Amino acid sequence: MLLEVENLAVKYGNIQALHGISFHVREGEIVTLIGANGAGKTTTLYSIARLAPPEAPRVAGGDIRLRGHSLLATPPDQVVSRLGMALVPEGRRIFGKLTVEENLKLATYARGKDADLAHDFRRVFDLFPRLAERRAQRSESLSGGEQQMLAVGRALMTGCRFLLLDEPSMGLAPVLKFELFRTLKRLNEEGLTLLLVEQNASLALHLAHRGYVLDTGRIVASGTGAELLGNPEVKKAYLGG
Amino acid sequence: MLASLLQNLINALQWGSFYALIALGYTMVYGVLTLINFAHGDVFMVGAYIAFFVASFLLAAVGLPGWAALVLAIPLTMLLTSLVGVSLERIAYRPLRRKGVDRLYVVITALMCGLILEHANLATFGASRKAFPTLLDEQVYTVAGVSVTNLKLAVIATALLVFLVLQRIVTKTRIGMAMRAIACDRFAVPLMGISVDTVIVATFALGSGLAGLAGLLFAMSYPILEPYMGALIGWKAFIAAVVGGIGDIRGAFLGGFLLGAVEIMVVAFFPSTFRDLIAFSVLMLILVWKPTGLFGVARTTKI
Ligand SMILES: Nc1ncnc2c1ncn2[C@@H]1O[C@H](COP(=O)(O)OP(=O)(O)OP(=O)(O)O)[C@@H](O)[C@H]1O
Ligand SMILES: [Mg+2]
Repeated sequence: MLLEVENLAVKYGNIQALHGISFHVREGEIVTLIGANGAGKTTTLYSIARLAPPEAPRVAGGDIRLRGHSLLATPPDQVVSRLGMALVPEGRRIFGKLTVEENLKLATYARGKDADLAHDFRRVFDLFPRLAERRAQRSESLSGGEQQMLAVGRALMTGCRFLLLDEPSMGLAPVLKFELFRTLKRLNEEGLTLLLVEQNASLALHLAHRGYVLDTGRIVASGTGAELLGNPEVKKAYLGG
Repeated sequence: MLASLLQNLINALQWGSFYALIALGYTMVYGVLTLINFAHGDVFMVGAYIAFFVASFLLAAVGLPGWAALVLAIPLTMLLTSLVGVSLERIAYRPLRRKGVDRLYVVITALMCGLILEHANLATFGASRKAFPTLLDEQVYTVAGVSVTNLKLAVIATALLVFLVLQRIVTKTRIGMAMRAIACDRFAVPLMGISVDTVIVATFALGSGLAGLAGLLFAMSYPILEPYMGALIGWKAFIAAVVGGIGDIRGAFLGGFLLGAVEIMVVAFFPSTFRDLIAFSVLMLILVWKPTGLFGVARTTKI
C-alpha cells in the first residue's frame, strides 16, 4: 500500500475538523477526494504533508503511513526528499520573489546527484510552455493560471512519485482546466500516483480510478469513479442533480 | 581641501565597512526569520575576543610570524564565531520557534542573550581591557597629501569582496535561493524537500562568521578589547541595516557606508561629541521619509 490514512482525527484548537477518517491510495492510482467547502479536504492534505501554517492543524488521533513509514514521525522535508511525495498546496504558495526558473530549481535542491534534472526541466516546459517563456520572470508577476502551472511544475521537479494536488484547476480558464486534467492523466500513465482534491467533482471523478466523499470531517461515500458518478446521493449533492 | 575630503572619505569607507559587515548578520537573520537578533552586536564582540585568543595562540604558542597568524586567524575566527551564533540559535531561538511563541518574546530573548555574552565575558576575563597583538606591520601610503594605511585598505577591500561573494551566494546558490524562499513563505519550503532548520542554521553561521571577520578586523584597527565594545557598534549596525532596508543585503552595505560617511563628515565640521547625535538624527530623518529603508519594499505579512 502506498498511502494509508487510518482513523485520522485533526483539530484546530478546540475545533474538530476531521473525525477519524480512513482511506488509502495504491501505487499507480488516481484517487480523488471530493466535498463541499469546509468539508476538510485541505486539512487532510495539510495533515499528510504537514504543511505548518501558524494555526497548524493538530493530529489528535490515528496514523498516516506512506510506504509503511509513519508520516507523523518523519520531518516534512524528508517526506519529500526521501519518500518521494509532493504537494501542490491550496493557494499555490509559490515563492513570489524568486523567478520561475528559481522556483523550479529550488524544488530540485534535495535530489540526488544522479537525478536527470535536464530531462525533468524539459518535461515541465513541455507540459507548460508558458513557463518556459516566462522562466526569467519573477513568479509574483505571473497570472493566476500561470502561477498554478508553476505550482504543479515545481512539485514535479521534486522528482516525486506520489503527488497530492489541492484544487489545481482553481483559477484556470476552462480550456486550461481540461488541458491540466489531460496532463495529470498522462503523468499518471507515466507512473505517477495522484491524490486529487477537487471542487469540480464531475471532472475529478471522470479522471480518477477511485474517490472518497468527505462531508464535515467524515467520509460518507467511496467507490470507483464510475460508481460515485452513478451514486444518486453524490449526484444530488455534488454533481448538480 | 580636496585632500581632506578624500582623507575623510577613506575613513568613512573604513567605518562603513565595519558597520556593513555587522549589519549583514542582522539583515540576513531578519530576512529569513523576521527576527531582530539583538545579540548580534555581542557576537561581534565575542568574535573580536576569539580573534584575540586565536591570534595570541598562533603568535606565542605556535610561534608563527604575524602574516601567517593572520592568514590562519581569519578562517578560524570566522568558524568559531559562527559556532557561537549557531549555538544561540540552537539553545535559545529554536526552542521558542518550536513553541510558536510571539515574536516579541524571541526579540527579548535575543536581547538577553546579548547581555549574557557581555557579562559572561566580564565574569570570565574581568573588567580589564585586552590589547590585541600586532599581526600586520603598519605601512602608511601617502598620495597627494592623502594618507592611508595598508590595514584600512584591507578592511575596505574585505567588505567589498564580502559583498560580491554574498551577492553571488544569495542569487546563485541553492542555499541562497532557499534563504530567499523562506523570506517569501517559510511554511512552503519543506514542500521542496528542504529543511527550514538547515537553512536557518546556515544563515546564522554566515552572519556570525562575518561578525567574527568584522571583530578580527576591528581589533586589528583599534586594538583595545572590552566586553561592551559590541553594544554601541551593534546598535549602529542594526540601524544601518534598517536604514538600508532590512532583509536586503545591498541595504546593509548602503546603510553601513552611509552611516560611516555621515559620522565622518559630522566630525569634520563639528566637535566630535556631536557625532552620534547628528548621525542618528540624519538616519531618523531618512527613516521618517522612507520607513521601509532605502532598498526596502513594504513587507506584506500574508501567510
Ligand atoms: N486555521 C484554521 N483554524 C480553525 N479552523 C480551521 C482552520 N482551517 C480550517 N479550519 C476549519 O476546518 C474545516 C475544514 O477546512 P478545510 O480548509 O480543510 O476545508 P476544505 O474542504 O479544503 O474547503 P474548501 O473547499 O473551501 O477549500 C472548516 O470547518 C474550517 O473552518
Ligand atoms: Mg480547501
